[in-house]
Amino acid sequence: MLILDSIDSLLEHIEVVQKDVTSLSSDSLLKISAYIEKHQLEVDDDIAAALQYQDIITQQLSATIEAIESMRKSINKFSHTFQSDEHLAQDGMQKLQEKLNTTLAEAKDKKNRFSGKTSCDEVSDEIEFF
Amino acid sequence: MPLVIFVDDSETALASTRMVTNSMPIEVKQYTEAQVALAEIKAGLTPDLIITDLNMPVMNGLEFLQALRDNPSTSRTPTLMLTTETKTELKQQGKALGLTGWIVKPFNPAQLKQAITRVLRLPV
Repeated sequence: MLILDSIDSLLEHIEVVQKDVTSLSSDSLLKISAYIEKHQLEVDDDIAAALQYQDIITQQLSATIEAIESMRKSINKFSHTFQSDEHLAQDGMQKLQEKLNTTLAEAKDKKNRFSGKTSCDEVSDEIEFF
Repeated sequence: MPLVIFVDDSETALASTRMVTNSMPIEVKQYTEAQVALAEIKAGLTPDLIITDLNMPVMNGLEFLQALRDNPSTSRTPTLMLTTETKTELKQQGKALGLTGWIVKPFNPAQLKQAITRVLRLPV
């Protein structure tokens, strides 16, 4: 199906861009960190938080890359089924939709879980000791 | 000096902890893979405190913690989880494995230093 091929290509492009952004932001932050360490600059609370945002960005992007990979796999599986058997494809469409919905729900859950304190007002600065 | 091990698959996260702890009277070793840290511990490394991330490929923080508890030399070593995760179920799992505490990223430098000082009973 041409439309599915286009969607797959678009997802592939987004995945590549996200991987590049992750790599660039990590590289950028490591250079800044090296500069701070080399010049023994003091890291205050704001700078420490800013430095850690990169880790959160990476985790957020990794979760969406995972979701994209899962969606592409499902789309390719369906595409293959559609080409070989139209009846099976009807059933496959239903399964594809369910799979895409599940993938989206998992990705949204990970977005919340991997945000740390950046998107969760009720998480305080206090360290929880057990 | 007490030995503190940091485990995090993110090199940038390790750089942040390194910058914050470099003025403390502690020796720091950092690892990007929990299985490598575990291998060194099994080979004789004896940390006084372990601070680990949760979401890591190959061996995650809870699996690492379980392996530490199964290892005689680290079965009681204080261990803190430093993670973006805020899920209560995961905290409970950590607690059941004898985790010392849970720190949510981005951490506050003073709080992290305070936690290390408290666990290691360093002079204030």
